[in-house]
Amino acid sequence: MTAFIVFLSLIILGALLALLRILLGPTLSDRVAALDIMNVIITGVIVLFALIEENALFLDIALVYAALSFLETVVVARYLEGKK
Amino acid sequence: MAEKHSGMTLIVKTITRFTVWLILLYGIFLMIHGHLTPGGGFVGGLVVALSFIHMKLAFGKKGPVKGSGKTFLHALDSSGALLFLGIGVAAFFAGLPFLSNFLPKGKLFDLFSAGTIPILNFAIMLKVGAAIFLVFIALNLYEHGSKAGNSEDSKNEKREGE
Repeated sequence: MTAFIVFLSLIILGALLALLRILLGPTLSDRVAALDIMNVIITGVIVLFALIEENALFLDIALVYAALSFLETVVVARYLEGKK
Repeated sequence: MAEKHSGMTLIVKTITRFTVWLILLYGIFLMIHGHLTPGGGFVGGLVVALSFIHMKLAFGKKGPVKGSGKTFLHALDSSGALLFLGIGVAAFFAGLPFLSNFLPKGKLFDLFSAGTIPILNFAIMLKVGAAIFLVFIALNLYEHGSKAGNSEDSKNEKREGE
């Protein structure tokens, strides 16, 4: 159990660093890339949580989160493309 | 660039060809398993609508989802609501109150088990999916100024050509 707590804290540290990049990022493209990284990390956290709880229902949530976060990146990229 | 191809770059189009069917299938999965797992008609409809929005965003006006198809979407929207109401009223003919579960319930935790609930989920999926896609199309039309007149349209084309 303690091993899982260490894993989760390290992954959440990575998510917090990505969040810091979203807040500080000099350009909009940096923020989009950091947001994509944070989405991937959060998907990993959900899968790890499903492993801890031994409940396959969380895997569904991870799947839908991954699919929709990809869509979110596409939408923001479309916005950036149309802006120039 | 605007006349050669519509939509986004080749990278996005290629990835979209893989992902859009996964997202559509996942929405239908969420709807079918609505009475067993988290999710249901609303979430399934939302994900199905997002898959169509994804296709429209990546391929643009000349893609597989052509035009706006507003009449068809309005018909889907209304038929979803009508199906829900019809299931609700059909319980009267079985001698039960409104929206009662009059079909046989089957075995617990089976896929096709919960009587009328999967049909109600399907009706909600039609309603929500069509409505969310209609909202997206309305915003898209507003952005491109197709409703506002020709002056804004030509301005948009000039901006895209630069």
